[in-house]
Amino acid sequence: MVALAALPRRTLPRRTLPRRTLRLPAAKVRIRNVYTAVALLVLLVVLAWALVPELFTGYDPNAGVPADKFAPPSVDHLFGTDQLGRDIFARVVFGTRSAVLTALFAVAIGLLVGGLIGLIAGFFGRTSDAVLGRLIDILLAIPGFLLAVIVVVSMGFATVNAAIAVGISSIAVFGRLIRSEVLRVKNQAFVESSYLIGGSRFTVLFAHVLPNAYRSVLALAVLQFGLSIISISGLAFLGYGNPPPSPDWGLLVAEGKDFLYRYPWLVYAPGLVMVASVISLNQLSKSIGRGN
Amino acid sequence: MQQIVSPTAKYVASRIGQAILAVLGVYVVVFVIVTVLPGDPVSSHLRNPEFNYSEDEIEQLLSYYHLDRSLWEQLGVALARLSHGDFGLSLSANRPVTAVLWDGIPSTLQLAGTAFVLATILAFGIAIAAFYLPPRFGGGLLRAFPSLFLSMPNFFIGLIVIDVFSFQLGFFRINDYQSLNALIYPALTLAIPASAPIAQVFITALDGARAEQYATVAISKGITRFRLLSRHLLPNAALPTLTIAAIIVGDLVGGSIITEAIFGRTGVGSIIELAATEQDVPVLQAAVTLAAVLFLAINLVVDLVYPLLDPRLRQVAATR
Repeated sequence: MVALAALPRRTLPRRTLPRRTLRLPAAKVRIRNVYTAVALLVLLVVLAWALVPELFTGYDPNAGVPADKFAPPSVDHLFGTDQLGRDIFARVVFGTRSAVLTALFAVAIGLLVGGLIGLIAGFFGRTSDAVLGRLIDILLAIPGFLLAVIVVVSMGFATVNAAIAVGISSIAVFGRLIRSEVLRVKNQAFVESSYLIGGSRFTVLFAHVLPNAYRSVLALAVLQFGLSIISISGLAFLGYGNPPPSPDWGLLVAEGKDFLYRYPWLVYAPGLVMVASVISLNQLSKSIGRGN
Repeated sequence: MQQIVSPTAKYVASRIGQAILAVLGVYVVVFVIVTVLPGDPVSSHLRNPEFNYSEDEIEQLLSYYHLDRSLWEQLGVALARLSHGDFGLSLSANRPVTAVLWDGIPSTLQLAGTAFVLATILAFGIAIAAFYLPPRFGGGLLRAFPSLFLSMPNFFIGLIVIDVFSFQLGFFRINDYQSLNALIYPALTLAIPASAPIAQVFITALDGARAEQYATVAISKGITRFRLLSRHLLPNAALPTLTIAAIIVGDLVGGSIITEAIFGRTGVGSIIELAATEQDVPVLQAAVTLAAVLFLAINLVVDLVYPLLDPRLRQVAATR
């Protein structure tokens, strides 16, 4: 009681207020962490680059000015220029849309297929769990990047196929998490109560299991979004994505690597943009997982 | 006169059996993925004008790979071949796939082994330092390292390693393929992202152990920091860390593709890269299967070692 009395008074009545009003999830989002705020800021910039790249740069990403080649970063060329005199900032900005869309596509595949597998395995149990659980274990034993390489090779080299490949290689991770989340929720008392008052399997699934599992699934999806950017750009780096003039982030680094010694910004500018985006996604994923 | 099999031996045997089934499963899953996906890599390789096959040769190769048969017949033939360790013929090298891969295995094992040791040292250093340094002396910053390492594409890490250690500091020459340096720097590239999950799990486990009552009791009895760590925290944090370290092994094989490409090493990674460029699917299938064998074998060993490390698990293992 002493400890309670020592608390600032304002915090006490607030907790006792009944909260019956329906609140949208967005209303619950309150950013308490400085790092998360910075991460969101970075992600907003990246999103804006993806949506309207024209607003951020006056340069054409594919038109080079030979006289300006290998210009170091300056006010004119924020990230400098490359061997053909193309503005690297423009190339990074115009490459954002493809990076975001392909990563989104990859996550969608992993989430949908993996989610379905995990949901069926966890929710229906027994034979389906034995079979699908084994499938997840088997997929987990294959190194993700290697699986992505073999998929993209058998589909043909293109950025879209690279995204599909990365998506397929993330099915197992999503399947494992969703299966275990469903199992965790399924065995709780409120699920049993729902069955007892006459809830059907699908009521239980949609009213209880999914709402209780979504937070950790969302956290994983955001994390995988960042990892997909890395894997897709890795495939592009090896040349399994779209052919050169396209400003894919991985390709930008690959093209710049031959000039690393004398013109390091060709590698560092696109590389650091990638790191900043992915680390922001990691931070966001962490704070979604923790719930703040 | 009944032969009594000890429960432990039974458990070990069943785990080995499961692992072998899982390897078969990996082969089948990869086979199905490659066959079901649109695009037939073998015929797109054969019909590529660059490689200059005659129609007769194409017919021969298609029937050698049984590509004129149904999916299940193809799978049956492939499994029958696999049962005596034959992964088929490489499309581009005209040699058995096993021979092609065998050339690269020693070099890549050396690279991945060194990387694993470096990753463990790195993770251990980061975790212990993050655990003991107060936030204002960099403890908080160190906790962000795993997240940073995870956010860096490994081709970028490789180029940074080359830039910093070769171009700026002059520690090694990138066209040197023989000396110890030619092993250390690629291994470092591979180790940096691999160390991240290990360090993350280790830090969490150390924090968790520190919050337990036995740690509080030990501290209140005046234990030294070193003894607290070595007697109480490390043994309890070791198990989850070992689990994640075993899982990392798969990423080392995947990461060797890009690392070997950047540093110009030859090994399984560069063989995979070449096979991918030439759409040599049999080589890729075999490489994936071998990587899965390595992954499953190491995880099996770790699972079997657990009871030796943790007395609480001994009873459980014995009764299974």
